Amino acid sequence: MNRDESRNELGVLRIHKNVISSISLIAATEIDGVKRVGRDLKSGLAELLGNKFFSAIKVDISRNEEVKVQIPLIIKYGYNIPEIANRVQENVRLALEKMSNLSIKEINVNVQGIERG
Amino acid sequence: MKFFTVLGIVFYAVMIMVIGLALIVFALNLLLPADINNLLTFAQGNHNSRVAIGFSGALLILISFSFAQIILGKFQREKTIAFTTSSGQVTISLSAVEDLIRRLAGIIPEVKELRPNVVANKKGIIVEMRVVLRSEANIPELTSRLQDITKSKIQEILGVDEQIIIRIHVAKITYDEKDARRKKDFEQEDRSTIPFSGYGRV
Repeated sequence: MNRDESRNELGVLRIHKNVISSISLIAATEIDGVKRVGRDLKSGLAELLGNKFFSAIKVDISRNEEVKVQIPLIIKYGYNIPEIANRVQENVRLALEKMSNLSIKEINVNVQGIERG
Repeated sequence: MKFFTVLGIVFYAVMIMVIGLALIVFALNLLLPADINNLLTFAQGNHNSRVAIGFSGALLILISFSFAQIILGKFQREKTIAFTTSSGQVTISLSAVEDLIRRLAGIIPEVKELRPNVVANKKGIIVEMRVVLRSEANIPELTSRLQDITKSKIQEILGVDEQIIIRIHVAKITYDEKDARRKKDFEQEDRSTIPFSGYGRV
């Protein structure tokens, strides 16, 4: 499934994976101590081709509409990694629940590197 | 195992077998260069076959790309420290820990260069460091300090309770001429007396 779908009396509301990914990206980078969201092969290629909005955040939506988000992160030097990761998870969960009413199953954080702030 | 992983493995096994068979057939002289030439000429002459070959090429590139990504992803997943929180899993790449240790070289002035290698296994986190020191350093004192700093920094930043083993290998001791000259100049300046500087002291 590529998008989350809900129906009301007027029609169908679909939320694309990219929307979930964008919300997660903004919520993650809001946290003090997060340098930026990391990269993978696809996002690296997209950035080379000039698409700066293609993030490496992976979103999986299961059949029972549960959302699983994977966020690669680069953290600033000097910050406590578990604390930052926890705060990112909480902020992303809050942002997704507030903006999309989705049921969030997991928010997995993958710390890829550390950079000077 | 995921469907695409199985497909990728089967595809590569079949391709390698086909290449092997082709080489054997060629070695046994069952396939003549003229036959290959005829086949290629036929393929180039026919529009449909050229389209099919083009699509096959594109498909091969896509399969290779996704297979490489799967392998790289697995490789990356294995080299991590992981723990679970209430919201999900947190994985810390060992290269991130290496980045962190590399930054420590800036804290200790006697360390000129530091190359860490971090391994996580059942014993705990093993850090192997290859260091280049400046000549004025006291090695036992410095290495002990470096071990302490590294250990406390890893514990503080990663927040892990696992055992941390730090091995240091002093690879080189450098003599920095610029530093030595600066030190010499400073000492000379210090030694030169200021006129009447001794007067007025009680």
